[in-house]
Amino acid sequence: MAKTALYEYPAELREEFEATEDIHFRDGSRATAADVWHFMTEIGPKRYPFAYTQKKYAGSRLSRDIHLPSAIKNHYLLLTMNDRINKSRENGAPVIFVQGGQSVDPYYAAGGIALRPASVGLWARGRHEGLGLNEEAIRSRNQREKANHAISFEACQTAGYANIQEDDLPVDMVAPFTCLRCSDISYGVEAHRHGPNKAVKLMNIDYPMRHQADKPWAVEYFARNLRRLTSEIGKRAGREVTDDDLTKEIKLHNEGRRLAIDTAELWWSADLPPTNGVDRRALYQMGGMEIHGDPSASLTVLRESNAYIRERVKRGIKAEGVVDKPIRLFVCGSCVFPNDFRIEEAGAIIVGQDNHWSDISTLVAEEGDPYQNLAHAILSYPYEQSIEKRAEWTIEQLKKSRADGVLFLYQWGCNTQSAIARMLCDTIKRDSGIPTMIIEQHEGGSEQSEQLLNRVNAFIEML
Amino acid sequence: MSIKRNFFAGVDVGSLAAKSVILEDGEIFATGLVPSGVDSVESGLKALNLALETGGLIQEDLTYIVGTGYGRVSAPYANKAVTEITCHAKGANYLHPSVRTIIDMGGQDCKAIRIDQDGAVVDFAMNDKCAAGTGRFLEVMAGVFKVKLEDLGALALSATELVPMSSTCTVFAESETISLVARGEKPANILNGIHHAIANRISGLFARVGIASDVFFSGGVAKNTGMKTAIEEALKVTIVKPEIDPQLIGALGAAVLARSFSKKEGLWA
Amino acid sequence: MTVKTLEVIRKRLDERPDELRKARANGQKVVGWTGYNVPEEIIHALGFIPIRIAIGGDDRLVEVGGRYASSKNCVFIREIVGAFAENEDPYIQQTDVLAFDATCLQNFRAAEVIEYYFKRDVVVLGVPRNFYWEEGQEYFVNEANEFTRLLEERAGAKLDTVKLAASVALYNDIRKTLKSIYFFQAAKDNVISWEEVFDLIQAGDLLDKKEYLILLQETLIELQELQPDPVIEADGADGRIFISGSLIPRGDRKLIGIINAVGGRIVGDDLWTGILPHLDLDIKEISPAGVALGYLNRTPHAALPYLDLESDRRLKKLHELIDESKAQGVIYHTLRYCDPFTFKAKETKDVLAKSGIPLLEIHTEYAGSDYEAMRTRVEAFVEMIKIKAESAAEVAV
Repeated sequence: MAKTALYEYPAELREEFEATEDIHFRDGSRATAADVWHFMTEIGPKRYPFAYTQKKYAGSRLSRDIHLPSAIKNHYLLLTMNDRINKSRENGAPVIFVQGGQSVDPYYAAGGIALRPASVGLWARGRHEGLGLNEEAIRSRNQREKANHAISFEACQTAGYANIQEDDLPVDMVAPFTCLRCSDISYGVEAHRHGPNKAVKLMNIDYPMRHQADKPWAVEYFARNLRRLTSEIGKRAGREVTDDDLTKEIKLHNEGRRLAIDTAELWWSADLPPTNGVDRRALYQMGGMEIHGDPSASLTVLRESNAYIRERVKRGIKAEGVVDKPIRLFVCGSCVFPNDFRIEEAGAIIVGQDNHWSDISTLVAEEGDPYQNLAHAILSYPYEQSIEKRAEWTIEQLKKSRADGVLFLYQWGCNTQSAIARMLCDTIKRDSGIPTMIIEQHEGGSEQSEQLLNRVNAFIEML
Repeated sequence: MSIKRNFFAGVDVGSLAAKSVILEDGEIFATGLVPSGVDSVESGLKALNLALETGGLIQEDLTYIVGTGYGRVSAPYANKAVTEITCHAKGANYLHPSVRTIIDMGGQDCKAIRIDQDGAVVDFAMNDKCAAGTGRFLEVMAGVFKVKLEDLGALALSATELVPMSSTCTVFAESETISLVARGEKPANILNGIHHAIANRISGLFARVGIASDVFFSGGVAKNTGMKTAIEEALKVTIVKPEIDPQLIGALGAAVLARSFSKKEGLWA
Repeated sequence: MTVKTLEVIRKRLDERPDELRKARANGQKVVGWTGYNVPEEIIHALGFIPIRIAIGGDDRLVEVGGRYASSKNCVFIREIVGAFAENEDPYIQQTDVLAFDATCLQNFRAAEVIEYYFKRDVVVLGVPRNFYWEEGQEYFVNEANEFTRLLEERAGAKLDTVKLAASVALYNDIRKTLKSIYFFQAAKDNVISWEEVFDLIQAGDLLDKKEYLILLQETLIELQELQPDPVIEADGADGRIFISGSLIPRGDRKLIGIINAVGGRIVGDDLWTGILPHLDLDIKEISPAGVALGYLNRTPHAALPYLDLESDRRLKKLHELIDESKAQGVIYHTLRYCDPFTFKAKETKDVLAKSGIPLLEIHTEYAGSDYEAMRTRVEAFVEMIKIKAESAAEVAV
């Protein structure tokens, strides 16, 4: 197959882009739009050529909606992850490996940086410069293979081990919310005890299950887990963490969550999709304020984008490359996501997902004991409730997003979501009549198999 | 008065081939290799008879026979049955006493074996139920590309690029291969990716048992030059050049054990 | 030489399903439980008949269960789900209430699936991952109190402390007697095999507890008569194997059969369906909290993560049991998608290697298709440890 040239942002866009807002970082520094433009057009292609691939099958291509500033700024923040995390660490902020689908307020309140597996992967990727798409895929697969050797080939949760133990990524703590959406997490934490990197502090932030939000002792237990967590992070950050610190952080993160909810409701209300699937997903996730390893940066980009989306919806502007009346798909499950580009080529668009959205759309009470408030909110994540309750919430999201169908995707080896898939889909079909389809993905990576995409396309045709 | 000659045979019935080696005292006297059929007893006998015929012997000339491989459990012609793990260890040690690690890739199993200076097994690990890294897996891949099994390795070595491939199992790798073919990726590049993915998977077995020089590569897949190169790269080792067909090592080890067992049983002095 | 009481126990097991049917007709309720930390004494003291749900070895049921759960759940869990789907197992048929715990999260998911699809009444006991923290223990005490309350509702009666004390005493006697019996199977010139003791332990999951204790005591007396002075010692090259890893429930005897067929002798285990749960259970207070903490503070199950390798009590116990049984090698049994044990296979191998104990992992499911592949691995392992023992003996001479 002939090698394709790298993608280039059109030069005539420069002036328009440079007039957009700066990105504000947590440490008080900022990146102007001109800085972003320079990085994305001059530096990025040299350091990270894989990101500029135009290969049709790559799911990680840059968004082509170039008039949406958040699209470029999001990619900028992702590609500068290594530079920024290293700088923050040098300034004393410990980095903590967490889990997808959880909020990160307490980590930042204690002076740390919380990164979920995908973000840790981005940081690790940033340390290996000059790689093309295939080379980068081989590098990350080799790391994963090594982690599988050290744990098991049936392990799905190997990203932490692969990067921290096999690639010496200087993560300071591994402390995810355990049991949340995945039964492998606590084993993934435990696996580090036999790895070569002994410096990393291990903790399970134990998420109780079964009517957990209704049990005062479960809320209390989780709150005490959170207190231990902030204390451990505080020790590493060299500070004492007060309740006020956490309250302030909750308020900041609530702002992100509210903005994401508002953005989603705007997006869902539009007759024509105001963004493509890649950008929509990034915007919703910015509300979780974890995606870039800097909540302030995510918040500034999300604020600016929200105004753009409002304007596009008001004026009926459709995102480039999206068909007029696409089939609207809602994705359930965890950790995997179909290739948005291919979905859109097939005449559909992904309008939302339960994974991450469950925690992003859960607001935290701001008055009273912040640990109790946070614990109660976290134990109330709809994704973690009984099947009936989770289905009820999912159907509500399906209605809001006007979804035509549900794709339930899970990763090969995922014990938890695979066991829930049929129950959830059966309940959704029973109570809403919306068609569902369950698909297992066999391997992660930048490309998905034709078999998987074939199933998705057949589902789209059926709808 | 003629001196009685002592012959010892090893018969290794695997899933794809049956092999036999006859030793006369300490030296290889004759060998036989035939494809395995559905009847493992018949396959073993065919390989044994081929070696006997080559050496101009009859079965009654043999002092002792050890059966190994999957066919060992039903080998009425054998005096004793021993697993191929123990036999590969003995066979490699017989040929190259400096060998401490064996990679054996046969029809349906892949093994990592660590041995000591006497050829005794110190530790071993085998592939899980998945067939990645076996002769059967490569047969499937040869089928996908419609090339001969023996040409796969050379084709992989002619690649201009390394395509990232999964190696979880035959079924997944096959579907991934079909996706890549559909997308126009060159067969040589895909095969290069497959060989490297298998080599990576094999290196996982060594994560369990460790690796020490010298390293020997046995089994039918050892004849695949592409696989040999990929394994050398993945494990960062140099594989010892075999003195005989690497597919015969299990049978050779069985013959070595036949000699040793028969001596212990007082059948010769 | 046969132990006669074992025959009596086998006969009583044959009669047990009918007995349960009659007991239920007379108004008694049966609680089917599964989970390493389910405090069975509480179930017993409330007047329920406790029956452990632990079946395996039936690939067809695994397939059925996978349709409701998924093919990515461990085969044991899939078989349990499959058994509820078919409802043909004579013990499962007799259960009125189910009690599951969340030690293994797949067990917890199975409870959800069974509740959802088969409309069974399931009580779930939450189990902390941070079980060694004070906060974790407090959470578990609260969960145990809630578990008791839910069972009390179903029993229509409050838990009586006197009855709980009696149940605890009965179970303590059972554990003590089992431990004494277990010693005999590992002895030189043993009069009872590990396999027989393993069956005997599992009989206790189903039989009436008072009767079970009497049968155990009779077995022990018989053993003491047959072998007054048992001694555990390694017998040159007898291929002494210790089994560790995923549970081996009733119905699944594939691996055990293979070890025997290739000339290995099992002399010890730390299986959840073997001796392990009966060891080191110290109930300090007669209350749901006291019983629950007794369970939680035993040797922990591998499903509960422990973050420091050096002080891991589970691995320490494994070492201790291997030493006691004078085993020469460990066969580490992992069921397909049984993450708690599968993920720790390499680590356990590395840990034991430091003490010179070889370990073979056998990764399997209930299908018979891997029988020959397993046999080759086990046979080679037994050959390896026998050759090693022979060489050691030659050096000693």
